Amino acid sequence: MPPLLEMQGIVKTYGAVRANHCIDLTVPEGRVIGLLGENGSGKSTLMKVLFGMTPPDAGRIVFRGQPLVGHSPREAIAAGIGMIHQHFTLVEAMTVAENAMLGWSEAGSILHPADIARRIDAASRTYGLPVDPHAVVATLSFGLRQRVEIVKAILRGAKLLILDEPTSNLSPPEVASLLGVIRRLKEAGHSVIFISHKLAEVIEICDEVVVLRDGAVSGRAPIGQVTREDLARMMVERDLSAPVTRNTREAGDVVLAVEDLSRHDAAGTTRLDRVTFSLRAGEILAVAGVDGNGQADLLDTLAGILPAHTGRVRIGTRDITRLSVRRRLAAGLAYIPVDRSGTSLVPGMTITDNLAMRDFNRMPLSWGPLLNITALRTQAGERIVAFDIRTADADAPTHTLSGGNQQKIVLAREIGRKPRLLLAFQPTWGLDPGAARFVIDQMLALRDAGCAVLYVSAELEEVLMLGDRIAVMSNGRLSSPEPRAAVNVTRIGLMMAGAA
Amino acid sequence: MANDPTAASVLVPSGATPDGRCINELFGRLAAAGGLYSAGRAVVAVLLAFAATAILILIAGKNPITAYWALLDGAFGSFDHITFALNKSTPYILTAVGVALCFRAQIINIGGEGQIAVGGLATSWVALNYANLPPVSAIALALAAGIAAGALWALIAVAIRLWRGVHEVLSTLLLNFVGVLLVSEALNGSMGEVGAGFPQSPMFDDAVCLPTLFTGSDLHVGLAIALVVAFAAQFLLWRTRFGFRLRLLGGSRAAAAYAGVSLAGGMMGVMMLGGGLAGLAGGIEVLGIHYRLIEGFSQGFGFTAVAVALLAAASPLAVIPAALFFGFLQAGALAMQREVGVPSSLVYVIQGLSIVFVLCAMGLDDRRRWA
Amino acid sequence: MDQLFVVDLMAASVRIAAPLMLGALGGLVSERSGVFGVGIEGMMLAGAFGAAVGTFVSGSPMLGLLLALIAGALIASVVAIAVTSFRADQMVTGLAVNILAFGLTSFLLRGLFGGQAPAIRLATFGAIDIPFLSGLPVLGPILFHQSGLTYAAVAMALVLHLVIYRTRVGLTLRATGENPEAVYAAGNDPIRIRQIAVIVGGAISGLGGAVLSLQDVGTFTDGMTNGRGFLALAAVIVGRWTPFGVLVACLIFGVASALEVRLQGFDLPVSSYVIQMTPYVLALAVLAGLGRGTRMPQAIGKPFCA
Repeated sequence: MPPLLEMQGIVKTYGAVRANHCIDLTVPEGRVIGLLGENGSGKSTLMKVLFGMTPPDAGRIVFRGQPLVGHSPREAIAAGIGMIHQHFTLVEAMTVAENAMLGWSEAGSILHPADIARRIDAASRTYGLPVDPHAVVATLSFGLRQRVEIVKAILRGAKLLILDEPTSNLSPPEVASLLGVIRRLKEAGHSVIFISHKLAEVIEICDEVVVLRDGAVSGRAPIGQVTREDLARMMVERDLSAPVTRNTREAGDVVLAVEDLSRHDAAGTTRLDRVTFSLRAGEILAVAGVDGNGQADLLDTLAGILPAHTGRVRIGTRDITRLSVRRRLAAGLAYIPVDRSGTSLVPGMTITDNLAMRDFNRMPLSWGPLLNITALRTQAGERIVAFDIRTADADAPTHTLSGGNQQKIVLAREIGRKPRLLLAFQPTWGLDPGAARFVIDQMLALRDAGCAVLYVSAELEEVLMLGDRIAVMSNGRLSSPEPRAAVNVTRIGLMMAGAA
Repeated sequence: MANDPTAASVLVPSGATPDGRCINELFGRLAAAGGLYSAGRAVVAVLLAFAATAILILIAGKNPITAYWALLDGAFGSFDHITFALNKSTPYILTAVGVALCFRAQIINIGGEGQIAVGGLATSWVALNYANLPPVSAIALALAAGIAAGALWALIAVAIRLWRGVHEVLSTLLLNFVGVLLVSEALNGSMGEVGAGFPQSPMFDDAVCLPTLFTGSDLHVGLAIALVVAFAAQFLLWRTRFGFRLRLLGGSRAAAAYAGVSLAGGMMGVMMLGGGLAGLAGGIEVLGIHYRLIEGFSQGFGFTAVAVALLAAASPLAVIPAALFFGFLQAGALAMQREVGVPSSLVYVIQGLSIVFVLCAMGLDDRRRWA
Repeated sequence: MDQLFVVDLMAASVRIAAPLMLGALGGLVSERSGVFGVGIEGMMLAGAFGAAVGTFVSGSPMLGLLLALIAGALIASVVAIAVTSFRADQMVTGLAVNILAFGLTSFLLRGLFGGQAPAIRLATFGAIDIPFLSGLPVLGPILFHQSGLTYAAVAMALVLHLVIYRTRVGLTLRATGENPEAVYAAGNDPIRIRQIAVIVGGAISGLGGAVLSLQDVGTFTDGMTNGRGFLALAAVIVGRWTPFGVLVACLIFGVASALEVRLQGFDLPVSSYVIQMTPYVLALAVLAGLGRGTRMPQAIGKPFCA
């Protein structure tokens, strides 16, 4: 029997980045294929190509015997490919039935919600996806919304379903339920591409696994023939020779102590689950983990932007759990958020102003209600030189600078104030290798000068290169930090995949 | 979501940048030119508006060249004309500076009309009841009352916004009507002039009226006050902590939160400032032009102030030429109507079109930068 | 206050509410697609002008109504294009368009019809009695003795209700106002949908203006809408963005207006101006009462990038 889907030699490049490099993927009928890989491994791009959201630079796609060339998502849906995105495309204010009818010409010009409701019920029963057609989506939990998306795809006749990180926000019972649904889909003759970074689930539900790393296939095998360790290694193995000189240092006093920090979001989902760790002066604690596992929540909470719901945070001996952002700044905390385009920098404001953004409220940058322009200019001049920010004019708007130089502004600002504690979230994101290297050197220099650094990144290489101690964030929980020397890459891979 | 680089944003359509925003390169580059670009943009928008209205004039069977010439003459033709236009511009300067400061913080304040109305009301009340004070104190007190009334009126809108989440556009808009009606209410009650055919207050004592800048001319002190205010606002925006906070709030609310700047505090401060300035404009109108409180004196100022602030790209100093432009335009339009027979309502067409063109240009420049 | 007074009051309320209803229903269509209806005032004014001019020039009220639709749609198209293709700010564009409409209508009135106002004099629409029903006590005079456009306004609410909630077009419209990305993912074009919605809404609002010039006053005067467009916007919000809710809200505002004139005969401690404030204060109160997360279309005001 010919395979349901064949992708051959898919190549996709974005500028200098090779997102997909000659990838082959075959999906037989009635099979579940797992697509495993870290952030940036090329999974999303491959699926975008399959679903018609972006054309490949090279390669062929044959689905149900028909080639798919230059197709749009609409055509992909019509051909029988259904995609369940990570971020749902549901209209919250409308009911399940109404969402099913959206964009579905089969539902007719005059709506017949009762008919649709019946069909939804039928599909629900067949695939074990109980969902109330008359429920308003806004009232549904994440897991239930996912069911709605799956039902939508089934109603439109999807033969191949692509599930993109479907379990990232599900509770364990919901995960079990989803896996049950996938089994039923398989029995009914559908095929599934199961994209994930979580080993346990992949092993449980998939027939075959394809592992991507850095845009290429690093391994594939039927499930029975690989171990978890094999898979973890295929996911994360890389050359660990750190071309970076590290000075050995004795860590000093505890600068940051976090106890039982927990937080849930507005919908009630736990984002941080009793995070506990401490950080000493002159050390870097590097935290690995796939995005969306609570890293942003952790850092925003430590910085004071989000409130903690339980737990305590101390800087030195001072309890800062309830302190405002400004007070935390005053206590010596610096923060490099991941988003340069709207959080850590205001692109429309000048370089000088962006450099002053976090300290403008205090001496010497202001005298009472007035800004001390001279001091601002002097600081800007110093920082520009110290951090080699390439610009002709300190009063140019920030958005005219390259990504690397923009990040240097953020670094100059946060590091230049000689903080006691630096929180860094993916500071090398979007930077070319030279600029990234600069950032890493700055982190090390800061540590050598006695600062405590919490470095969070999805780039495992950086984590391994920088961390004096290393921990992994998964599902809102932080693993116990371990010294670098004791770390085993495969185990890190397993922890990142939630399987250790 | 669109700002999270780590989100596998599967819905990014082709043609957009990898981080999900739509950027028009040409305008992005132009925006880097800053102040010059904004001024250029305003000028082009106005010229386009004039060109479009020329077509209208032709439809009405008149010659656009003679019409525009009459416009210019009516605006600048004589000392009296110029004085008239300058007086007309004064409330625009004041109110638009307030609106501009609000724009800088990404707040849309269209409550000018209501704020001017209550400002004029409060000023008139003081002028009628405290005329016995020495002139400078009387005027100062009256204007102070106007400022306070306007600020309070704006505060109502902010309070509703912060406490109940109602967008400030709606609340300021609705409060306009209430404010204007308050004036009518007062004029039909305790403050009205008995026996007058028209709702108006008794005339104020000479002592309380605004002195003129030059003897023999009608140009009153209000203009000087407005100019000082504009410069002060520019200083506030660029040289004080408060101004920095405003610019931060306007640049990115997320960045402001990250920098520890409170949205509530900034909003209240700038709205009260805007309301106070509008109230001052109202006070100056009653003390300097009408010498009494007249029903409907505040009409149209609020929206024109928004137009002025937009044309000025929300820069307090640039408000001066923009407000002068509108003032002279309106003064000239009356003459144009008298002499050439082209209806003065053309001015509103020019205004409306200018704003639309500026807004379109701003929309294309994805970052919506003020200079 | 006797029954006669109440009946007369209610009948007047319905009559006064008619232009508001059409204006608000037009704004509703626009807001449901995700575009703020700040420009209703301008669209109504344009419609009033179009209706007056059309009827005056051709002698046919039908042509006047057609011109009202076209005029409202034209003004709306400025908003539609600026806001979708140029991603201009919705609030301020609406305001600008109001100013533009004011200027255009005043200008054209004088430019085309000479300088003296009122240049146009028309016979106003008379009331149409619905046979049998208008004979009912109480309800008869109130509901079934109104002029044609008033009936049209109520019918419009019904039509919109059916379209919005029972057809695919309406479903897509609602979805566009809530989550245009979902609409895009489903294969439709949210930008096109918004443009059409704004223009159709403008035509309906224009019809509301026609009520003023053809049904109420019999002429066109500068700025004759006099803030009704903003009241209509408030009605959309108070009516929770549903056609029947909007209808009721407009009626309430109509009562407030009708009351104002009639109460002057009575010796009340409350002045007529305070009563005139009622619609606006009421709107503010309801808005504040509804508070955060009012069930307004989620995507309203946000430009769609694609």
